[in-house]
Amino acid sequence: MIGVAPPAYDPAAPTTASTLPVGAPATVRAYVAELFRRHRRAFLLLVAVNTVAVLASMAGPWLLGDLVERVSDRSAPWHPGLTVTLFLLALLVQAVFVRQVRLRGAMLGERMLADLREDFLVRSVGLPPGVLERAGTGDLLSRITTDIDRLGNAMREAVPQLAIGVVWAVLLLGGLVVTAPPLAAAVLLALPVLVAGCRWYFRRAPSAYRAEAAGYASVAAALAETVDAGRTVEAHRLGDRRRALSDRRIREWTAWERYTLWLRSVLFPVINVTHVTVLGSVLMVGGVFVLHGWIGVGRMTTGALIAQMLVDPVGLILRWYDELQVAQVSLARLVGVRDIEPDAGDASAEPGGRDVHADTVHFGYREGVDVLREVSLRVPPGTRMALVGPSGAGKSTLGRLLAGIYAPRAGRITLGGAELSRMPAEVVRSHVALVNQEHHVFVGSLRDNLLLALPPARLGPSTESHGAAADGDGGVGTGSAAGGVEAELWAALAAVDADGWARALPEGLDTEVGSGGTALTPAQAQQIALARLVLADPHTLVLDEATSLLDPRAARHLERSLARVLDGRTVVAIAHRLHTAHDADVIAVVENGRISELGGHDELVTAGGPYAALWRSWHG
Amino acid sequence: MPAALLPSTRHSFRPDSSSWDAMRIQDLPYSDPGVPDARSGPRFLWWLGRNQLGVQAKALAWGLLHFTSVSALPFCVGLAVQAVVDRSAAHLVRAGALLVVCCLGNALGDTFLHRAAVTNWITAAARVQQLLARQATHLGAGLTRRVAAGEVVAVSTGDVEKIGWFVEAVSRFTAAALTLVLVSVGLMVYQPALGAVVAVGLPLLAIAVLPLLPRATRRADLQREKAGRATELASDTVAGLRVLRGIGGEELFLARYRRASQEVRQAAVRSARMWSLISAIQVMLPGLLLIAVVWHGVQLARAGRVTVGELVTVYSSVMVLTYPLRYFEEIAMAYSFSRPSATRTAGVLSLTRSTETAGSGTTDEVPRGDLHDPLTGLIAPSGRLTAVVCGDPDAAGRLAERLGGHPAERSTSARLGGVPLDELSLTSARTAVLVQDKDPVLLSGSLRSLLDVPRSGAVDAEDALTAAQCGDVLEALAQASVGAEDPMDVRITERGRSLSGGQRQRLALARSLVTDPEVLVLDEPTSAVDSHTEERIAAGVRDLRSGRTTVVFTSSPLVLELADRVVLVQEDAVAAVGTHRELLGAEPAYRAVVTRETDGEPAALAAQVAGAGMPGAGASTSSRQTAEAAPGRDDAAGTLGPHRDGRDGLPEAGHAPGRRRPVEDDEGALARSAPPDARTAPRGLRHEIEENA
Repeated sequence: MIGVAPPAYDPAAPTTASTLPVGAPATVRAYVAELFRRHRRAFLLLVAVNTVAVLASMAGPWLLGDLVERVSDRSAPWHPGLTVTLFLLALLVQAVFVRQVRLRGAMLGERMLADLREDFLVRSVGLPPGVLERAGTGDLLSRITTDIDRLGNAMREAVPQLAIGVVWAVLLLGGLVVTAPPLAAAVLLALPVLVAGCRWYFRRAPSAYRAEAAGYASVAAALAETVDAGRTVEAHRLGDRRRALSDRRIREWTAWERYTLWLRSVLFPVINVTHVTVLGSVLMVGGVFVLHGWIGVGRMTTGALIAQMLVDPVGLILRWYDELQVAQVSLARLVGVRDIEPDAGDASAEPGGRDVHADTVHFGYREGVDVLREVSLRVPPGTRMALVGPSGAGKSTLGRLLAGIYAPRAGRITLGGAELSRMPAEVVRSHVALVNQEHHVFVGSLRDNLLLALPPARLGPSTESHGAAADGDGGVGTGSAAGGVEAELWAALAAVDADGWARALPEGLDTEVGSGGTALTPAQAQQIALARLVLADPHTLVLDEATSLLDPRAARHLERSLARVLDGRTVVAIAHRLHTAHDADVIAVVENGRISELGGHDELVTAGGPYAALWRSWHG
Repeated sequence: MPAALLPSTRHSFRPDSSSWDAMRIQDLPYSDPGVPDARSGPRFLWWLGRNQLGVQAKALAWGLLHFTSVSALPFCVGLAVQAVVDRSAAHLVRAGALLVVCCLGNALGDTFLHRAAVTNWITAAARVQQLLARQATHLGAGLTRRVAAGEVVAVSTGDVEKIGWFVEAVSRFTAAALTLVLVSVGLMVYQPALGAVVAVGLPLLAIAVLPLLPRATRRADLQREKAGRATELASDTVAGLRVLRGIGGEELFLARYRRASQEVRQAAVRSARMWSLISAIQVMLPGLLLIAVVWHGVQLARAGRVTVGELVTVYSSVMVLTYPLRYFEEIAMAYSFSRPSATRTAGVLSLTRSTETAGSGTTDEVPRGDLHDPLTGLIAPSGRLTAVVCGDPDAAGRLAERLGGHPAERSTSARLGGVPLDELSLTSARTAVLVQDKDPVLLSGSLRSLLDVPRSGAVDAEDALTAAQCGDVLEALAQASVGAEDPMDVRITERGRSLSGGQRQRLALARSLVTDPEVLVLDEPTSAVDSHTEERIAAGVRDLRSGRTTVVFTSSPLVLELADRVVLVQEDAVAAVGTHRELLGAEPAYRAVVTRETDGEPAALAAQVAGAGMPGAGASTSSRQTAEAAPGRDDAAGTLGPHRDGRDGLPEAGHAPGRRRPVEDDEGALARSAPPDARTAPRGLRHEIEENA
């Protein structure tokens, strides 16, 4: 076998474009520098304990060298008791400090890792809603799972271990120099082979390991999908194809395994040869020097034993070096989130009323392609407006503009005279809320799932609102002063008809819900979303097919709850079923990015336009 | 499907005839991963190992070369030192030459041991993954209903690696252990007095830290668990980030995540404490052995009983031998990790389908004709579009499943052209009838591959996409992708998560249409699609399926309007049959389900409630199927009473049928301007009755 070419297909190549920026090298460097500054003390401590541990480890070879000298030269004074005592002492110091090295290394790594992941989440939750809506959460999700995971290895192990390895190797070389400088020079004989081999290897290894890991992950992913889609796979007779797909994924993955195995097949002999060359050159060069009487046999023995010890730090450095390279890529993706401009809101922009007004609004997701054109609308307080129209006509986009998530490309959308897009998200949401199919139930207690909707000011002084104090994992606001909050939560649940099942939960508000907890039906999840609205109490709501994913029975039940929530508020509903439109005060028919019809139900039916035609066929 | 996978033969696992032939990585995947011995975890491990005896033996041989070469290094050092003590340049050169030989042996042994061991890992992992994939498709629809689905995935993502680890480690350990024995014996022969000390000390070193390992791994597990929890919290927070940004609560969730993150850190440090203790012991014990060797050896050397070279050799040996010693710990950990993994894997691999899938029918020919469900009395005439209105979505789901044959729970089989579908082979039944359930899954891949399903060939992808009104989906896909010019090449993410609910439904529908089966059963195919589009889809499906048998479960007037025949099924029995218009006029129960409107008269409402409960009570006899439907009806009527009784005791008793006018002013999303009777819901009431029964 002469070699293995890297496989053509790279499973680690991104299949979907990164929707969020990746950090520039300068950003990454700045972040690393900051991280290091924050943990300088811990880092220096690690180097210090490591130094002691390595120095102590060299005592053995020194003492043995000394003994060899004395044994071979019988005239020298002889204190075996003292030597052994020193030996024991050095061993004790070494053991204690080795323990400290490992512990301090882990503590440093864990602290940096914790900083990193917390920093990332802090940045993520500060992203402007428009960015989230446009980029989706998929990219963020892969960053917080895959990239944090990869960095976990690097921070937890690679950084401390590399620090340890480098200090260790340098000290051993130093020890060699002190023992006998020519022996240290002999070590350098092995260097060219090692450097050439490592350069070859590390140029190829990081991307190959990334591809290998991605390939292995996609083997499991293909199977997980087959399992998840069991019914679909059987119905469409896709079993053979799924098996073939699994086999293909295995072929792709193992091709990379074979390639990385080849890379190591080159690296391993290089390392082995290096080690033996180091040992051999110390023995041979040292031997010649001893034979010439330039150094003592004890020195040579010490040198050979130290050279033998070099195996460990060199292995350590090589083992973790590529991990660090992989980590660089992940780090760039994580700190990339920092490059996004935070919400450039003007906190002083306060609306002076509840009037929603769109004035000749144009909007497009891409340059030069407008999804909405010349849209003008007026929604007086308390109005119920329905947006109807075919898929892709721009209903949802208009809804998001009215909810202040996107800013129009041209024209203005105002709330009580103030421009919606200039308000920070925190202000917008106290006035307007968007309710869509995405009724996410967070992992955690039912209480936490509701509390999030309460503005911090209303949480009360005894409850934590900034994450300072925490009583256990359970959550927040269980103190007696929070009784008011408790009652408010129940009232909100009652308002959406959810208090019945909520009271039946095993631990009431403290019941764990969300993935892994008590399973809630989609309708119950939607009720929680509605209860949040009751708590957040915005005066204007944009409903985007809020109940469309529910089965009709649940939808009917839920609409009753929804009606109570809507009472007294301005509502813009993206209508999915025509009965919703029928019940609205004003119907806006959106077609092809424009509002083609606007008026009440009866008015539009009489007008005989597209709405009337649709209504007739629906109503029969 | 290979016959070997059938339940009847599952226990007659067969060994791989080629187990002694060394499997190469480039030959993976296996053309046939074999039939595993899944009776227990250890048996499964044994089966795996037995199937790769060739490579295991290779690994052992190379391992012996590697470890003995490493162990010979101290001997070279000793020779070199002795050579200079003896002032012999020739001996020094001889030591150097021996060192070169050791170096070659070491490099070769190390590299090829690694290659063989990793090959064992990879072939074992690939084999298990292949077995899992075969098992998953064998279990098919049965999987989603069981806990097993999660188990299969857990085995694939976590357990395979652990099993692979053990399979990889076993030959390496054997080589290391053999080498230790060899070296101990060698040292005894080479220098009995010192060798004895080493021979006594080494086994102690080998087992010294083993008692600590379970505790250390427990702590590591705890740390992993907490880390998993923190990752879950983080990804959960990110997944719901739009909700957080839209409603608030960022600080609350950040605080929660910080706590979880700090818990991970603390658990990791706790775990590191244990591992660092192990490291300290691993330094301490060999150190003590070294001191014992030195103490004893120096005395002997002083007395002239050992040479200086021999002393250095023994000292250096102890330093080097800590290396093979590590593999004692590795094998202990690998086994303790892989045993439960192997047990879980064996459990998953020994699962069987609850119903026979081979079919007892001798012919594999796909039958044609009317589709008939004897249980409800439903008949879908051949070549027509039949719409089924079914008050209860769960009952609709069960009926739809039954119409495809081989349902999860045994019952009277549906018949196609008089042939019971359950008696056909699973493949034939699925070929004849395609049932698209309420939640069809879009498999990830390009749109082209999504539509590349087994099919008749009569319908091309473009027509199917047009009929399902996927134009805007294609547009959205083209927009989302950067490079691909053809939207057919754009990748759809798992479960189509990047698409909206309506878009997903339409793509799933297009996929079913392209299959073009003899009978197509669609369960609420357009529930998440807006009315405009739904109307066009209904027309598209009708045109595309003309001449083929199609059954649609729906309550949308826009679809019902276009059906050749509409069947109302209530309480698991056919209640009425006709066209949409006929039923709308003649069947108040039907009207209630479909239009959500009533005549507005309390009396009429009451009649509908009754009508809904007792199918047929208010419907014209002419439009009813008779014989087969009758038993079902009786059943339904007979059980209605207790349902009502049960209903009364519940908190929402105010909505009970006893209150003849179930009108709530606040009902309906945008109720204000609508007449109060427009949203009365006798059907809804009936559902609540069923729900609470």
